[in-house]
Amino acid sequence: MSASATTPQSVLDRADGLRRQLGATVRDDMVAALYEQSSIIVDRAVKGRGSQNWDLDQRIDRVVTSQIFGLPIMLLILSCIFYLTILGANVPSAMLASLLFSFEDLAAGWFDALGAPWWLTGFIWHGVYRGLAWVISVMLPPMAIFFPVFTILEDLGYLPRVAFNMDWLFRKAGAHGKQALTMAMGFGCNAAGVIATRVIDSPRERLIAILTNNFVPCNGRYPTLIMLAVIFVGAAFPPAFAAVAAAGAVVGVVLLGVIMTLIVSWVLSKTVLQGEASAFTLELPPYRRPSILRILYTSLIDRTLFVLWRAILTAAPAGAVIWILANVTWGDASLAQHSVDFLEPFGWALGLDGVIILAYIIAIPANEIVVPTMMMAYLGVGMMTEPTSYDDIRRILVDEHGWTLLTAVSLMLFSLLHNPCATTILTIWKETRSARWTTIGALLPLAIAFVVCFVVAAVWRLVA
Amino acid sequence: MSNPTGHDCEACPAHAQLAQMGVSLANTDYLIALAGNPNTGKSSVFNALTGLNQHVGNWTGKTVTRAEGAYGFGGKRYKLVDLPGTYSLLSASQDEEVARNFLLFGQPDCTIVVVDATALERNLNLAMQVLEITDKVVICVNLMDEAKRKGLTVDVRSLSRDLGVPAVPTVARTKEGLPHLVQTVADVVSGAIVTQPFRPAPPDKVRVAVEELVPMIEELAPGLPNARWVAMRLLDGDHRVRQALIAGELNGMQASQSASAEGHSRLVALQGSQ
Amino acid sequence: MIDSPMPWLVLATVVALVYWPRVGLAALLSSRRDRLRRELVEDALKHVLSWEQRGKAATLESLSGAMHASPTTVLQLCTDMQKRGLLHVAPGGFGLTAKGEQLALHVVRAHRLWERYLADDAGLPLDKLHQAAEKAEHGLSADYLDELDAHLGHPQSDPHGDPIPTRDGHLEQLHAVSLAEWPSDKSARIVHMEDEPTVVFQQILAAGLRPGMIVRILDQDEERLVISDGVNEHRLAPAVAANIHVHPTEVGQSLPRVATSLADLNKGVVAEVVEIDDACRGFSRRRLMDLGLTPGAKVSVVLDNTFGDPRAFRIRDTTIALRAEQARLIWVRPLAPAADREGVAA
Repeated sequence: MSASATTPQSVLDRADGLRRQLGATVRDDMVAALYEQSSIIVDRAVKGRGSQNWDLDQRIDRVVTSQIFGLPIMLLILSCIFYLTILGANVPSAMLASLLFSFEDLAAGWFDALGAPWWLTGFIWHGVYRGLAWVISVMLPPMAIFFPVFTILEDLGYLPRVAFNMDWLFRKAGAHGKQALTMAMGFGCNAAGVIATRVIDSPRERLIAILTNNFVPCNGRYPTLIMLAVIFVGAAFPPAFAAVAAAGAVVGVVLLGVIMTLIVSWVLSKTVLQGEASAFTLELPPYRRPSILRILYTSLIDRTLFVLWRAILTAAPAGAVIWILANVTWGDASLAQHSVDFLEPFGWALGLDGVIILAYIIAIPANEIVVPTMMMAYLGVGMMTEPTSYDDIRRILVDEHGWTLLTAVSLMLFSLLHNPCATTILTIWKETRSARWTTIGALLPLAIAFVVCFVVAAVWRLVA
Repeated sequence: MSNPTGHDCEACPAHAQLAQMGVSLANTDYLIALAGNPNTGKSSVFNALTGLNQHVGNWTGKTVTRAEGAYGFGGKRYKLVDLPGTYSLLSASQDEEVARNFLLFGQPDCTIVVVDATALERNLNLAMQVLEITDKVVICVNLMDEAKRKGLTVDVRSLSRDLGVPAVPTVARTKEGLPHLVQTVADVVSGAIVTQPFRPAPPDKVRVAVEELVPMIEELAPGLPNARWVAMRLLDGDHRVRQALIAGELNGMQASQSASAEGHSRLVALQGSQ
Repeated sequence: MIDSPMPWLVLATVVALVYWPRVGLAALLSSRRDRLRRELVEDALKHVLSWEQRGKAATLESLSGAMHASPTTVLQLCTDMQKRGLLHVAPGGFGLTAKGEQLALHVVRAHRLWERYLADDAGLPLDKLHQAAEKAEHGLSADYLDELDAHLGHPQSDPHGDPIPTRDGHLEQLHAVSLAEWPSDKSARIVHMEDEPTVVFQQILAAGLRPGMIVRILDQDEERLVISDGVNEHRLAPAVAANIHVHPTEVGQSLPRVATSLADLNKGVVAEVVEIDDACRGFSRRRLMDLGLTPGAKVSVVLDNTFGDPRAFRIRDTTIALRAEQARLIWVRPLAPAADREGVAA
């Protein structure tokens, strides 16, 4: 060795020279050598390999990824989760709502007693607080059910099997099978779905997953979908079949969302996000018994509260805006009324009306407040309201405000396809750190929603 | 070995001493890295030791950031850093980069490599890569219960002998074997256990090249514990290692270590292994 | 009458729009002109370099043919490049000056690194690489190329076997024999395929040949070559075979390769990995190796899903799902089922 002249650069130069002689297989050789050694060590240390006991995992797998039953089982499991979420959330939602809203009246009473001006009481309690209370009572229970159940599936090891079952479809769309997982997360909350795209290695496929996550309806959009399904679809059937028909309509919308995801993924991968499929190596780990307590804790802390917190941050200002729009008058009508009149023709073109458009503008922070905002505008009261029964809603919408089946269909489509909520947009920004992709993520679905609703409304009116 | 963990550690005095410290990371005495494949129950080990509830999904790439926690044992405080679960340290994906750089530049006092007892071949691939970088390693052979269910008997002592570092059988979900694990980590950190990591000879094709580079690298950074690994990375064209060599980060690492007592024992262990 | 400032404002705006430094219309047009001009110069340099490497001097005709430009344009370009000290007149045509060669090698380096990147990281097929790299190769700084080089792990050749020049302009010579001149009794490893002209390159690819393949010539006459890779036979015109370059095989690499691809492996059969195809590179190859798909590893199919793709394989006591397009690039040798059962019993 030339002891005098060893510098970092000389070492690198020598290494480069040697590397050129060795050819491109250095890493292959190193990994092969490691595995050779590993194999020797394991042969010495482990007895009983090659026994067929791991077959239990395989037997389960043969069923859940079966060529015949794989997809039906998957649909069944996912339907059960939705059913549990929708059904199970009803009661706690109502309890939370009555608790939080009764506090609102109480607190407003104190304010009045203390002599606070009506607008202060109204703004703080009937505006900001009411918005928050609404979001918490509508969002928290479904999330507290959905996320733990979902996490159980995750810890059990079932989700990689979903990706395994679905990958072929996503490959055809130029995307990654793990996008199926992020979609499933999106059923709970699109923001959580966007975060979950971290499991996808390739930046291109990850962006596709982020931009299309919005096409699966999240918990916040179910209330709208379920209400419409019950009032317009369920009511068209005999009472015995009403519930099944309504559920079928919701599942249909969800499937439409999945189809839209695949179509948009395909278009993206053929245009702005061109490229070939990346390496797909998906480990199917052994099934493991989930530890329920830890799941409850982590899914509540990591997912539910996290998502809820973001929603609260955006719902409070929305509550304030709603209150101001409804209570500040200009000329002979409230600001809300002016906005509705202004938006009416635009809404009509999409098969909707001005109130619905206004509700969606106000509900950009959180989709949960769409229905209550609409009701507020229709009823002309000064705060978000929810009528007590579906019959009431039907009377208000159909008899008093001229809703038709077209309105319902357009609204379902709009609810499924429109722009993501502010929380999700914020999350897209945090995950991509790109103003361009955040803008596309926000506006692309909106544009699609406009076009689809416009075409459906136009064709419908032509035919009818 | 009828008992899957090989030790009855509920009776160890160590059991009483483990104190979960959650996220209170101030004034820790030692830095411990936690490495391993995805799906090995690495986060169960992390959670059981620190009392935290880090949730990591069943696939690679989920966490590209590191989770940190702390535990106390034998009057000392240990900071535990949970590295992303990776299959290797060579592919240069983002998570592997994070894990590799921490082992190389984070100067952990000890690295726990969690391996899956039911899929040791693949898990040892990673473990041996870690052994090339750092010699203060404890192998945590986790999921011993699953191995037993699958009819496997794992001779942990044989593993330990072949790898030249302690191997501890555990079932992290039920916390079986964890007291023994923290005791072993403490012993490795204090120097009571001197490891002699097994470093297999380089593959035939590159041996000559490695043997030529190692003296040059050692001349540049005397006492570097992983000159051979650095040589192999250079032959593979590893960008980060090239940068480190030019910037003298490898040297700096050596200097700061030999200043401390641990650095000294590291050198002793190194000489023993070569 | 100029009462209103409006006309002046409009005029000022127009002037600003046109002449604003860097973003004005004039600046944009001029920078576009500069860019096109630079691309022309770089293309011309590459052409002259490639002819020099073949021991010939590029001429005005060859340049205008290669660049699809009129002789007048090329003449003007060459005069200009001579002035800038990039070209000099050589016997029979043009030659590169030292400065010209340095710049030419830089562009070649950019082109081949980009091809490597597109093949390894973006997964573009071989016949799409050249076109894409032609567009991307211009205007890249040497520092940028160094970063790309490092990111790719300092590759030595582009995906079809051309060596990549180093930053300081060192270009390895390709010491390989054309397949058309290879003796028919010896097996050979394909190390290089000429990617221009594209028509010929596509014929090579259509014949199913890939860099890294081990082949042997079975039959040869004026019309065609019949070559075998141990499993399939491929037919080529001699003119096409002249664009393929081979090396003698190393010891241990022999024909026939009794291997099938992992994608064709039947369920329930245990096989041994022979190698991962050279066409599988970059992250994908590294990940497969890291999962334990190294030569000699045992692998079997355990699950097929509804669509038949991906399939799940048992490898080193773990279950890994791979898409067909990846499994196709993994060569395995099926083991006799009986022998495997014995192994299990023992």
